[in-house]
Amino acid sequence: MKIAISSEGKTLEAKVDSRFGRAQYFIIVDSETMDYKVIDNAAVAQSSGAGTKAAQTLIDEGVQVLISSSVGPNAMEVFKAAEIPVYKAIEGDVKTNIELFKNGSLEKITEATNQGHHHH
Amino acid sequence: MKQLAILSGKGGTGKTTVATTLSTIVKNKIMADCDVEAPNLNIVLQGEIIEKQDFYGKETAVIDKNKCIECGMCEELCRFNAISNFEVNPYYCEGCGLCMYKCPVEAIKLVEEKTGHVVYAKTKSGEKVVYAELFPGADGSGKLVTEVRKKAKEVSDDNDEYLIIDGTPGIGCPVLASATGVDLVLIVAEPTLSGFADMKRVLSAIESFKVPSVVCVNKWDLNKEVSQQIEKYCEENNIVVVGKIDFDETVVKALKNLQSLSSNPDSTAYQQIYKMWLRIKEILDEGVESK
Repeated sequence: MKIAISSEGKTLEAKVDSRFGRAQYFIIVDSETMDYKVIDNAAVAQSSGAGTKAAQTLIDEGVQVLISSSVGPNAMEVFKAAEIPVYKAIEGDVKTNIELFKNGSLEKITEATNQGHHHH
Repeated sequence: MKQLAILSGKGGTGKTTVATTLSTIVKNKIMADCDVEAPNLNIVLQGEIIEKQDFYGKETAVIDKNKCIECGMCEELCRFNAISNFEVNPYYCEGCGLCMYKCPVEAIKLVEEKTGHVVYAKTKSGEKVVYAELFPGADGSGKLVTEVRKKAKEVSDDNDEYLIIDGTPGIGCPVLASATGVDLVLIVAEPTLSGFADMKRVLSAIESFKVPSVVCVNKWDLNKEVSQQIEKYCEENNIVVVGKIDFDETVVKALKNLQSLSSNPDSTAYQQIYKMWLRIKEILDEGVESK
């Protein structure tokens, strides 16, 4: 499963960025292999609409889950429409949050609207 | 460093009055004025400028005279009427880029324009204040708010326990940029119907952030009926009302003289804001359960 997580740095040891739209980086982690890819968040430079732009980028990358701290209302609409569940990160590094997600300890902020649509 | 954002929804409810008063009460803090289109925190605090940093907030179309074949397509296409006689009026240009994409000879490009400064100042007593200064006609934005908060973080040191963010009215991009990633939001409400409605609006705008919010009712005694409605609403939604501030003419006098309320520490409003801070501090230090 492809999990995106907002991050202050470029490694799994980096701290989670408490912002979403203007997070420095996104790290996209394959939860099975723990291989990851770093995305420079171009939306930081937007004067407005950073959240929706960042959301579009992640959707284009094909992420299935987002872990972040502060997803704004507009970006949240995008994730709802794309049926991507959003989980609230806890303070700490990327790796810890991935582990917490895997064992079901992170709080879900939004339900995917139509879970039956995908064949899990 | 714990971060507190002060918001209101409606303008003129007393956000900055509360913020400036808190700035004299709270020690070991940095103030960030994120009401970037109308920054007024430092007018009252009178900090001396330490550092000014350029802010590039906008892209503007520029026509390369050597490449331009004067076909007039850009002028025709521009929805903002920003182009005439094959020249761009930067005050009208919104930086949308349509002319650049459509120019048949690629004579137009977008250039980043300097639209203001991010300013770091220190008051006589050594308190740090960060704010923005926009050039006339320039737009405030979430990006600028983010830059102000970034600068505040940069100039902070281990002694700074709190970052107090004076936000902007409304529920738009700069408000969200002020509230993202903070530890607590303080909403300064006023007991009018629009004050109450806008308080609810800002609460719903930041709801998805899952940041705990507390409310204070400013000038509560001017309309006790609506004040009661606000309190009832907060109670029903598990929002702590951390303070009710009287309408106090001392506030009006202090502002008229460009002074903070701390010049009148015996005033009712000052005492109430002081007590309110003790409650906020408790909540910030202990952490609150998010809604």
